[in-house]
Amino acid sequence: MTSPTPFDLIVIGSGPAGQKAAIQGAKAGKRVALIEQTREVGGACVYQGTIPSKTLRESALQMVRFLQATEVFEFRMRDDVKITSLMTRLDRVVRAHGKFMKDQLTRNGIDCFHGRAGFVSDQEVRIQKIDGTAALVTAPIIIIATGSRPRVPDNIPIDHEHILDSDSILSLVYLPKSLTVLGGGVIASEYASIFALLGVHVTMIDTADRPLKFLDQELTDEFCEAFEKTGGHYRGGQKIGTVQWDGYSKVTTVLESGETLESEKVLVALGRVSNLEHLNLQATGIHPTTRGLIPVNNHCQTTVPHIYAVGDVIGPPSLASCSMEQGRRAVCHALGLNSGVAPEHIPMGIYTIPEMSSVGLSEQEATAKYGGATVGRARFHEIARGQISGMTNGLLKMVADPKGEQLLGIHIVGEGATELIHIGQMGLLHNMPIDRFIDNIFNFPTLAETYRVAALDIAKQRQH
Amino acid sequence: MAHSTITPLVQEERETLRSFIADQLGRGNLDLPLLPVVANRVLLLSSDPDADASKLSSLIQQDQALAGQILRIANSPAYATRTPIVSLQQAITWLGLTMLAGLAFSVSVQSGVFHTTGYEKEVRKLWRHALATGLFGKEIARRIRHNVENAFLCGLLHTIGKPAILHLLSQSRDQSAEPFSWTTVESLFEEFHVMAGSKLATVWQLPDPVQETIRYYQDDQYHQGLSPTKGAMITCLAHHLASILLGDSMHDENSLLTLPVVQDLNFYPEDMTALLELRETVKASVECFLP
Repeated sequence: MTSPTPFDLIVIGSGPAGQKAAIQGAKAGKRVALIEQTREVGGACVYQGTIPSKTLRESALQMVRFLQATEVFEFRMRDDVKITSLMTRLDRVVRAHGKFMKDQLTRNGIDCFHGRAGFVSDQEVRIQKIDGTAALVTAPIIIIATGSRPRVPDNIPIDHEHILDSDSILSLVYLPKSLTVLGGGVIASEYASIFALLGVHVTMIDTADRPLKFLDQELTDEFCEAFEKTGGHYRGGQKIGTVQWDGYSKVTTVLESGETLESEKVLVALGRVSNLEHLNLQATGIHPTTRGLIPVNNHCQTTVPHIYAVGDVIGPPSLASCSMEQGRRAVCHALGLNSGVAPEHIPMGIYTIPEMSSVGLSEQEATAKYGGATVGRARFHEIARGQISGMTNGLLKMVADPKGEQLLGIHIVGEGATELIHIGQMGLLHNMPIDRFIDNIFNFPTLAETYRVAALDIAKQRQH
Repeated sequence: MAHSTITPLVQEERETLRSFIADQLGRGNLDLPLLPVVANRVLLLSSDPDADASKLSSLIQQDQALAGQILRIANSPAYATRTPIVSLQQAITWLGLTMLAGLAFSVSVQSGVFHTTGYEKEVRKLWRHALATGLFGKEIARRIRHNVENAFLCGLLHTIGKPAILHLLSQSRDQSAEPFSWTTVESLFEEFHVMAGSKLATVWQLPDPVQETIRYYQDDQYHQGLSPTKGAMITCLAHHLASILLGDSMHDENSLLTLPVVQDLNFYPEDMTALLELRETVKASVECFLP
């Protein structure tokens, strides 16, 4: 092997975090090496995670809207609409997004390497190429952004044929009649609601008494109601005993209670694990936590000061939006650049059907912090735009201080929630009083009106 | 020196057959065999979400030879249970609906569709290769998290054009005459099997990903496959692995690593090692299905 090629910055992994880190480095005039183990750049976010699941969700919604339209416009859709049609669109979106990302890296003059990265020392990285050859690169600053993959529990034999994970679920070529979803987190809830909408009989099983327990309960109650309306079932407070394919047509899930559930396929969505296995972290002196995460400080700096870790490898919130910002800020910190004000009030978007989004304090958090909270609500069906668009469910919940004067949090469930949340986010960032939502004018008819209605609800409580 | 007298004759025979097949394939009313009713229904049933073991079992029972084959496979050492398999429904339960549907289709096609008299040994070899390709296809798909069921069917049927060519050749000769040399037949396969397979797949209305795989599974073609299931790309590598397994490959394990399809599937040397470690399992399955 020849002597290592020197760079100013090495980034390992090209997902949202790695990509933004590399671009920030290049924009600062540094020579950047970006190492990606797959042929395409973008990471799991583009190929197995965020982009595919959201595209599938959008396709499912479009299909359902189209089916609803057949009643109005008196035409029929083919009965045998295949999931492959949905997946073909997905493939197109993924390819387009991958190309866009690749072009962006090329435009910024970043050297992209296709191979598996492993540390030789704390400043030197070996790139194992696919043809068996290897190359060495070195840099004074290294960013680890290798992402995560679905966790495989020891007691569940995932075969990617009958028992699937959140990667292989995207390879289905037909819709199963029934699907058991193990887990109650974001990925489990997103896929459960998509497949239920597509007419699959879906049962979610989790230990928690309700899905997405970290969210405001009013939101998850609305979600559960919508999920049940599409034929889905949530079975909380259950532990999984065994999962086994019966050999020909169904998978049997046995709960610890002794109850047995049968379904054509099972989706295992019980968390994700960091991709650390090829990194040879021992060569750097970094020790992962017991949960397999890389420990970092507020600047995403590891215990080795010139090595940073960003994105899923450092654990929650594991949102693509946060990972991008972590990547950018880590490089700014490493290069001594001003990275701007640290982000507060990061919104969380959950692409279930219906969507859910949240920013700021929940009612419980506000009560704990201020000794109480005033809450205003606006339901989508009470708003003209909700009526026009046929939105029968949807809720915006506004949380204020006990006096009902200061905005503390916004929680939304309903279509468009992940877009609508940003008004609340801006309000929080500017310490906006509740009355500002009442005194200003929003477009009519829009769902933004819900902010005004919820603020009025708070103001009404203030008078009593 | 003897070759100098034989070669022109072989060449002449090849040219005559070449013209015949090209003419046949070029014709709109190509005389390819119809898919047997049972095979066709088995294939439809395999993609029917309402399919169950009892439906498939009653279908297979309509073909005595097929039922016998299925029971033999289910009781073979590679698949044997602790208790003997005594019913078709039990066999289906044990082998799995998808694999059994694909195999029932394949067995049914082998035994009754094509006229391949005089080439029994060679045709058996072709089916063994197709089956090994299907089984390797499943494992490749599993590794890259693509559809496993689809990969099996694509592999199993990717060279369906070869027996179809033999069927056409059988029409061009007197049944009492000596069969054409296998070297000649192989050279005709090389030139025409993709075209013949594509025509057959269209006539038989095979699933779209299978049709695409038949058309594009070869090294210089798989990149033309558009199906998100990547059947053509997966089958291309599975075809190479099956060839190595059955000892008819120009590649060895090391040169396999340099194939573009290995790189396009993003298989690192350790991934290929893991796949090659499955050789014995695949071989055992091939032996029990087609001993």
